Amino acid sequence: MTESLRPAALCIALVAIGLATPGSSFGDPGGLLPAMDHERPVQCARDKDGKVWRIQCNEATKVCLYAANEELDSTGERGKSLERARSCDIQDEFDRAKLEATGYRMFPGRVDAPFGWMRDERGRVFQVNFDLRKRLYFGVAYTPQKILDNPLESTRTSVDFGLFSFQHLVEGETPTRHRLRILEGVVHVEPFSAEVTVAHYDVSRRFLDPLLRITTFVGRPQRHDLKLNLGLWSEVGGLEIHPTPVGHSTLWKHATAQITLDLWQSKNLDSFARFRTGMGLEGQYSDDIGYRSALTAASALEVDMVLDDEGFHNLRFELAHEMPRYFTPLQNHQNFAQRLRAKLQYEAIVLAINDQPLTLKLAAGGEKRDDIFGVPDQWAFVMDAGLRFSLWAPPRAR
Amino acid sequence: MGTATRALAIAAAAIVVLAASPALAESCTGITQGGGRFATCFDLGNRLSVTAGTLGFGGGFALRHIVRFDDAPDLAWKLEHVMLEASYAGFEDRFTGVLYRGRFLRHSRDGHLVLPFGNPPRKIFLPFDIGALAEVGSISWRPDSNVRLGLVKTAALLDFARSRGFRRRFALGPVARWDVDVPRDRLAIAQHIVAPFSALLANLRFETANGVTAGELRVEAGSVYRSGVGWQPEALAEATLERIVLAVNDRPISLVLGVRYDSAAAETTAGIGARIVLVGRRDPRVSLATLAAARSF
Repeated sequence: MTESLRPAALCIALVAIGLATPGSSFGDPGGLLPAMDHERPVQCARDKDGKVWRIQCNEATKVCLYAANEELDSTGERGKSLERARSCDIQDEFDRAKLEATGYRMFPGRVDAPFGWMRDERGRVFQVNFDLRKRLYFGVAYTPQKILDNPLESTRTSVDFGLFSFQHLVEGETPTRHRLRILEGVVHVEPFSAEVTVAHYDVSRRFLDPLLRITTFVGRPQRHDLKLNLGLWSEVGGLEIHPTPVGHSTLWKHATAQITLDLWQSKNLDSFARFRTGMGLEGQYSDDIGYRSALTAASALEVDMVLDDEGFHNLRFELAHEMPRYFTPLQNHQNFAQRLRAKLQYEAIVLAINDQPLTLKLAAGGEKRDDIFGVPDQWAFVMDAGLRFSLWAPPRAR
Repeated sequence: MGTATRALAIAAAAIVVLAASPALAESCTGITQGGGRFATCFDLGNRLSVTAGTLGFGGGFALRHIVRFDDAPDLAWKLEHVMLEASYAGFEDRFTGVLYRGRFLRHSRDGHLVLPFGNPPRKIFLPFDIGALAEVGSISWRPDSNVRLGLVKTAALLDFARSRGFRRRFALGPVARWDVDVPRDRLAIAQHIVAPFSALLANLRFETANGVTAGELRVEAGSVYRSGVGWQPEALAEATLERIVLAVNDRPISLVLGVRYDSAAAETTAGIGARIVLVGRRDPRVSLATLAAARSF
């Protein structure tokens, strides 16, 4: 028994509706029956047995597609009603002979599905487009860590989570995208380390009017617009915990606010490349030194891209520099410290369980910092490979 | 250990027996001989309640609701939220509390798995609903222990009960959590406890159709990583039974029984108490309208 509707069952259905068995094949290259167009009207008609069929005719091609108005089981029998199907008025006087007399040909097809969904030949619907910017997710990863001076550093596992990610696009002349993330982070074991952010909010905007208009008068006067798509980036409640030779160093990033400059934006602002810079207030606690506060200048180059229309492939890159200025000097009698971080992450959907995506995450990164006493001031590199499970992830906006 | 196992087994058996009892078919509105109406069904998931008993005094705020979709009648999101739930045992130094706990289950009549390879994508049907548990900001301590801060806890849930409502749940899934032990005498971190989906959660819940009786069994077992110590096995089991015994002005007062086993603390606790609903949503099946209308004449 196969998942798809058997041709024999389809022929039985055709006889029942009074339609001729199609004399020629008409399908898409993937082997599926053609789907009705979700943007064009559909009508419903009842056959001699009282069963309802959905029919969509195309005046240009003189082709009509028809499909059962219910989901079919594996034997072709009608079962439950269609999900995510448009309502249609049932016409009892559907005149197939008249249609065919005017040159229309009838072919079996699939009932249309909303954008982001598709329907199989049995009428069952499932999601094929996912917005990973709107989700609750959690995952587990294997993190072989390699530090330059100790290539045999222990391997680690980690969990990452984001309890609420949401984005909202306000369309218009100056489209604006708001991004909100609540309680997002990663926790490693062996050795223990963690990074968590309680709340993140940023906003991107595409301005209609240029910030600067430069007119050149060499030769024919010409106008050059310089658009600065500025935005805001903020985080509160950041926490980083790192192992040290004498215990752990805990870094509290109380609040950070930055100005963003989008170097590139996709049409709906869900992908971008941007530069951001700003200030933050933080405090660091370690068992041997105690607590000390700092004002931190932070800058970053960020790329966040959805690589395909269906949202299956997602890429993120971040190159960040932070320079905390401590109110009490460090062990080296300096008030300043340096933190450099680079991270590249690729996330791809590998399957969906009940329309909820399971993704593969691959990440690589490096870090160099001198703010944690006892940790070598040199680049340390790390790689991640793991799976994430996401809830919600509705279809992306068209 | 033996006592704990026996107690939990009895609790589990009670839950199974009660879960198998037939659903009540009678009306949710009782009528006195004098024509007065009163509620006989209760909504256990939307309420502000306080509980007092042998394990202390506490309370919490609970909300639950179902999100349905017009174009997908066989799909429903069942969302349960618990906020600011706490309990303090005054006669011994024991406290438990949680800032937020949410359980989100996606119920669909035809669960399936989509493999997005090839054209068309392949669809395989699954016999369970899926969902997640998310818990943020829990705190607990017991006599002579550190303070345990639960920073985050999450679990993927496979619900085999596939109930359309909240009355039945049989969910299994891997759990990830990150807890921190903090000494009581100073602000420092004594230990990090992490379970990177290395523990399994089993959660069984039933609720009678009228909401008068409810029970829940939760078992978590697996390995956890403790900073400075390494990996250790850990198990936690908890069973609760709630039975509404009377209602004052249609606000229920229930008897609550509970038993809990914690392998990390090597202790089993059992308690009994009374739960009073201060503010609660009236079960929509209850109708007191006729009486109200009669009073207006």
